[in-house]
Amino acid sequence: VIRYAALRLLGALPVLWIAATATFGLLRFLPGGPFRGERTLPPEIQRNLEARYGLDRPLGQQYAAYLAGLLRGDLGPSYKYLGRDVRDVIADALPVSMQLGALALAIAGCGGIALGLAAGVRRGSALDRAIVLGTLAGVSLPSFVLGAALMLGVGLGLGWLPAGLWEGPAHAVLPALTLAALPLAYIAQLTRAQVIEVQGRDHVRTARAKGLSEPRVRRRHVLRNALLAVVTYFGPVLALLLTGSFVVEKIFAIPGMGGFFVSAVTDRDYPVVLGITLVYAALVVGSNLAVDLLYAWLDPRIRVAEPGA
Amino acid sequence: MGGAPRLGWLALLAGVALACGRSLTTAPAGELRVNIETGEPPTLDWNRASDWASILVIDQLMRGLTRLDAQLQAAPELAERWEALEGGRVWRFHLRGGVRWSDGEPLVAQQFADSWLRLLDPATGAVYAYSLFAIRGARGFNAGSAERAQVGVRAVDAATLEVELEAPLSFFPALVSFMATYPVRLDVIARHGERWTDPGHLVGVGPYVLESWRHDYRVVLRASAQWPRRPGSPERVVFHMVSDPATSLVLFEQGELDLVRIPPLEIRRYLGRPEHRSALQLYGYYYGFDTRRAPFDDARVRRAFAMALDREALVAVLHEGSRAWSAWLPPAMPAANAEIGVRFDPAGARALLREAGVEPAALGPVRLGFNNHPRHRLVAQKAQAMWRENLGVEVRLEPREWKVYLEELENDPPPLFRLGWGADYADPHGFMEVFTSHSANNHTGWGDARYDALIARAASAADFAERRALYDQAQRILCEQELPIAPLFAEARNWAVAPRVRGFAVSAMDQYFFDELELE
Repeated sequence: VIRYAALRLLGALPVLWIAATATFGLLRFLPGGPFRGERTLPPEIQRNLEARYGLDRPLGQQYAAYLAGLLRGDLGPSYKYLGRDVRDVIADALPVSMQLGALALAIAGCGGIALGLAAGVRRGSALDRAIVLGTLAGVSLPSFVLGAALMLGVGLGLGWLPAGLWEGPAHAVLPALTLAALPLAYIAQLTRAQVIEVQGRDHVRTARAKGLSEPRVRRRHVLRNALLAVVTYFGPVLALLLTGSFVVEKIFAIPGMGGFFVSAVTDRDYPVVLGITLVYAALVVGSNLAVDLLYAWLDPRIRVAEPGA
Repeated sequence: MGGAPRLGWLALLAGVALACGRSLTTAPAGELRVNIETGEPPTLDWNRASDWASILVIDQLMRGLTRLDAQLQAAPELAERWEALEGGRVWRFHLRGGVRWSDGEPLVAQQFADSWLRLLDPATGAVYAYSLFAIRGARGFNAGSAERAQVGVRAVDAATLEVELEAPLSFFPALVSFMATYPVRLDVIARHGERWTDPGHLVGVGPYVLESWRHDYRVVLRASAQWPRRPGSPERVVFHMVSDPATSLVLFEQGELDLVRIPPLEIRRYLGRPEHRSALQLYGYYYGFDTRRAPFDDARVRRAFAMALDREALVAVLHEGSRAWSAWLPPAMPAANAEIGVRFDPAGARALLREAGVEPAALGPVRLGFNNHPRHRLVAQKAQAMWRENLGVEVRLEPREWKVYLEELENDPPPLFRLGWGADYADPHGFMEVFTSHSANNHTGWGDARYDALIARAASAADFAERRALYDQAQRILCEQELPIAPLFAEARNWAVAPRVRGFAVSAMDQYFFDELELE
């Protein structure tokens, strides 16, 4: 398993290099530089600004300098936030997004599986119908609507929870729920479908015929098999949480990475765009790897096949 | 993010928020909580800052030689008096005695000279270096063609600063109210490098010191022990950075914020409420013409397009309290003149087009460029309808992403384009200079020697009545005869202020000194 993981990690390096190079190139195709604003600067001032950040050098040299910096772990300075390195920006913002994302993932995973299981084993019941309806709403409701509704209803209207800012655990509840809603609904739907399918399989009927108690059948045979398909979905869920964080962080005024997603591009803050792209690429690669490992652990067939692989 | 999601959820807000407003917390005593809707201040280094958020925070930490009073005239601040020598070519500033930095060091004139040279030093890469280009040798030093020693600023003694300009400039004292010219401590900058603006490093001469700064989230200031405190003024100022305007309004209504800007669509709901404050800004919004190409190479066609716009109806679509304005100098600017400009006159406009030999149907579609923002789109759609109805001319809207648009303006502007201008300092010169033939901000391709000469004369004239007359003449050329631009309106800023805050008024420059407020 360790060798497999190491190989996969090594394989991720070219992916990151391609991501960095493509982003670097695409950014420079965008019209307008970082130091353009409503007022046109006198040419000498524009020159001084560009010289300060090495933007007056040929593009090839800039690219080489950037790659050399990357190898040293240096992502360069932000053009907009003076005196802050991209590393500082990410170090400040990433933990916040990770906390929010982890909380949302936990809510989506536990809630989704529980709901899906509850609905699946009592297929056709009133509870099942309610859950199916609820998850349909969760899938179709955009997060800016849900977020606003939660903020205004629970936050401003009822006054139960803070409507925004990032001060303590109470402040995390509404944004985490907003962020979790969509993946939670997906996971619930997926789990329900899997449970229904697995329940009809031979080995489950065999287990029941052997006289195993119903809770035991559900735990050992139904849930475990149903989860296999759900786990595969965790990779895309992580990507969903990362990209969804932009809207949620903005609505609830949370100091995470999401805001930089858009603002760094509109500001043409090249190093910040590159740094964030790399972090997201690394996260996606890492989460896919984690899902693969988890899958191997859950499915004995993959474990058995491994030595030969 | 497009406009649609925000519109949708603002509508939701309007419905629910009206009915219920409830506070979770009581406001901390002595603490003023202000929202910076543009987000994180990019820097607190006043030589290098160039945006509103940074300036808002810096103005609480630092003061300059002069400051603008309510009438936007230069008033004494760190300088107690000043005099003009050689007809306004040389200025001498005398510092107020006994002023200390927040670490207890005395303020001396050399620290101003240090700051200005640092501002102009090409290695600093300061955007606002040009604010001191009037000083002898300054532009050359910034461009790398002159030595530091040639720049005309020096400390005569610890309390006297002398400045030599390239040419007489009557409003120089107003220029040095600007934050880029605030003094600096080279010893502090040398000790901490780029990090000299971090909490614990930054020292200032002003009512507050920097206590903490959590990036992208919150800046906290506390009252400085070295600055006399007014009774009742905030002990602490906390800046939040809620970038979603609707959220900031919810937090305001929940009692979590004391001072927030009101988003455009919410302004109507606040009209007449005691929390609402509004003022016109030194900011003009205009449509420009590319005068280098047909059909706008003919002044009559430009005039016809300007006359076909009903500015009152145009500004009404925004519901933000902005004022229709057909002259260039905005209403709050000294020397502004409401009489100047062309009036709405559809019949006259059509006659002018005929006189110019232009067949309206054959003109179109004429492209109108603007940066893609809901406000600009609303105005552009209204203008498009007016041109169609009043002139019979078809106009095609061409929204662009902001930076793409800026590049287009510089290289190949559309025949019609939207732009605005905000004052750096409260003197007409900066505004009028935009449309001189040598200005990099003049994207119209228009130039007029008479206009250039009037602006140059007005800059050095000492008597304000004389300057006013010169600006009137220049504005008549710009807004009545030649019309390379059609000024549309002066923008208003709208703030919501918690009842516990007293003494807050929206300033025409959107510039605030929070130590002047009182908290209940």
